[in-house]
Amino acid sequence: MKFLKECPILIGIVTIAVILTVISFACQKQVYSDYAEETDPVKTPALALVLKGARDGVFPWSSVSDQGEVVSSEGELVVATGEDAGTEGDTTGQDVETAQGQQAGQDTTDDGPSWLYGDANEAVSDNDVSGNDSEEEVYEFTEVDDDYFSDALFIGDSRTVGLSEYCEPLDERATFYSKVSLTIFTAMNKDFVKTDDGKITVDEALQKNKFAKIYIMLGLNEIGTGDTEYFTTAYKEVLDRIVELQPDAIIYIQGIMHVTAEKANGDKNFNNEKINARNEALAQLADQKTIFYIDMNEAVDDEDGNLDSSLSFDGVHLKASSYERWHEFLLHNAIVR
Amino acid sequence: MVNFSDLNFIFRFLPIFLIAFYITPIRFRTWTLFLGSLLFYAVGDLRMLPALLAAIIVNFLFGKAQFAEKSKSMLFFILAIDAGMLIEFKILGQFVNSSLMPIGISFYIFKMISYQMDVYSGKIDKEVAFIDVATYFSMFPQIVSGPIMRYDRYLENPMLKEYAAGEKSILAHIEDGLRYFVLGLAMKVLIADHLSMLWHDIGTIGYESISTPLAWLGAYAYTMELYFDFWGYSLMAAGIGVMIGFPFIINFDQPYGSGSVSEFYRRWHATLGAWFRDYVYFPLGGSRKGNGRTIFNLLVVWLITGFWHGITPNFILWGVILFVIIVIEKYLVFPKLPEGLARVVGKFNVLVLIPLTWVVFAITDFDMLAMYFMRLFPFFGQGIAVNDNDFFKNIGVYWMILLPGIILVIPKVFEFWENRRNHVVFNILWILLFWFCIYSISGSAGNPFLYFRF
Repeated sequence: MKFLKECPILIGIVTIAVILTVISFACQKQVYSDYAEETDPVKTPALALVLKGARDGVFPWSSVSDQGEVVSSEGELVVATGEDAGTEGDTTGQDVETAQGQQAGQDTTDDGPSWLYGDANEAVSDNDVSGNDSEEEVYEFTEVDDDYFSDALFIGDSRTVGLSEYCEPLDERATFYSKVSLTIFTAMNKDFVKTDDGKITVDEALQKNKFAKIYIMLGLNEIGTGDTEYFTTAYKEVLDRIVELQPDAIIYIQGIMHVTAEKANGDKNFNNEKINARNEALAQLADQKTIFYIDMNEAVDDEDGNLDSSLSFDGVHLKASSYERWHEFLLHNAIVR
Repeated sequence: MVNFSDLNFIFRFLPIFLIAFYITPIRFRTWTLFLGSLLFYAVGDLRMLPALLAAIIVNFLFGKAQFAEKSKSMLFFILAIDAGMLIEFKILGQFVNSSLMPIGISFYIFKMISYQMDVYSGKIDKEVAFIDVATYFSMFPQIVSGPIMRYDRYLENPMLKEYAAGEKSILAHIEDGLRYFVLGLAMKVLIADHLSMLWHDIGTIGYESISTPLAWLGAYAYTMELYFDFWGYSLMAAGIGVMIGFPFIINFDQPYGSGSVSEFYRRWHATLGAWFRDYVYFPLGGSRKGNGRTIFNLLVVWLITGFWHGITPNFILWGVILFVIIVIEKYLVFPKLPEGLARVVGKFNVLVLIPLTWVVFAITDFDMLAMYFMRLFPFFGQGIAVNDNDFFKNIGVYWMILLPGIILVIPKVFEFWENRRNHVVFNILWILLFWFCIYSISGSAGNPFLYFRF
């Protein structure tokens, strides 16, 4: 009792720290297994597991299957990232396809992503790629005016949020289902779309509202997550679901916008080789009938293929005054059916 | 780990160090503190540890010689070495590679200079053992960013003296230090680190595209970020010092309650201000050699202060602006204006001009700085692609951080807590506050995709 009177805060903190540490160790094979895998015990004290779990709604009494649903994707992904890092370390300076090849070699899946770059570059505007009968109409990108966007929807992360905030012509006409830190894995099932009756998911919103054009730009937040195939598989699932819900819409896959050279330099994930590899894979998801691939990087790149540093403060986002370039690009690269 | 708000520091280094420190017999405790501090430094910046050690040894030897026989030329020589080392590393860090700037060099060099001058002036009169000098220079609670404690305060530690029968028990020391530490942690982690995101967001938008209300919000948010970042750090540092027996060093004494800018800088980063006063301003003659000389001395102090903060031109400009404001206060506002009006002007300077000087402090590029001021005072031109709702959007997100920040800026609030800090309500609150901070930190710990914010 004397101690409690003399140093109550110390006792309180130490007691809780001990309890949390014990829980972390006791449960690190069960509820916290995913966190334990992604956390280096040398760099992070064990009790961080419990607190990290609590942030995701995972508690010691959560059943293992519950938390499986909550975090399994992330846990798995971070492991995959580890492999990526190793591979990239080996191939620094080599071109993207080699890096991809080696990565595929390390993958456990047999077929690997070799299909990704069969004829990646030519395929984009080639209508025959899917082997369908050649009598179908060939669509070409043309110039449109702003009214084109009045029945358009934009889905994206903070970069698309920026577009909605700093591109008035688009914001006045189009609908934006965009959210900071959105990823392809959360795009359809995170409830962030505001309605009069509270927030709903994009999936639910697409059941209610109809759009003639749907623009998607996602992929930067999850650039360190999984490999390209894992990403494109998830992307394709989202596309399939959107086509199912909005069969008449023109869907634009927008290539992921680059980062600046300064940002990319030395960053094992946020670099343009990785972005380009994913964009090439995304281009393959286009069918040139309802799904089209456009890449706005040409509007914002410098001569080396990095985001022009004068257009960005943090190397990742466009400055408010630079969104006009993206807008102009969209005006000049539209499909009219 | 050299960051006090790092989980490894809080849950590994600090508790293990405290146990090691207190189980060491008093006779050897200084060694425990010294070795612990070297370990702490080595983890943060192993490459620059030799620079620290060399500076310690050289300064010890010059001090020792000075005890034997006072010599002004020797004093100037060692001061030139210390200042030269600081200047050289600052230039290397700025123009070659920022990793060449040793951690804490601005602070340990200032301690060394004060030590040399105190030995020469006879303020430190008993010869000092190597271990005490070395520990004083390198002690981990102060090595990274101060406070710049003086050697006489170092001697006040009862936990390092054999003859001292401490009035307070070891646990009471730890407990009291912990109180300050937790408050500092909360200021840094919950307020400053979150406000820094607002300032970052403003940069992302681009200064040319922010609305005037957002520009002002940004100026005040940055002002508060800086305040709580450094006050929070100082409370953590002083709190750790208290845990191991040192006196509580006041580094921030409610600066925003000041009545003038010169008073502000006696109460903001007080150990730095006092250092400049005692080791630059007074030796130059202070204010005893006529108005012209006083103004010159102030200019010297503020130019060095600017340079010390960083060697890009904006810091020099920042120092010069403060010099001008202080001179105007000293020679025009307070002597010439009626008292009531002078008080209003002084308050205005602290609450409006100081935040504007922090903008100069924050933005290193002159073109961007000019752009920011054009948005603050939109008489000279229009912004580009300005979204007029940006102010309300950011207030909507950040009000819950700005509000506690504003409350803590009120001078009486801290005093209220400090006077009642062992009340049971505060004890419970502090345990909760601590774990809330840890919860906030742990979200980012060890996670390479920390913010997930694009």
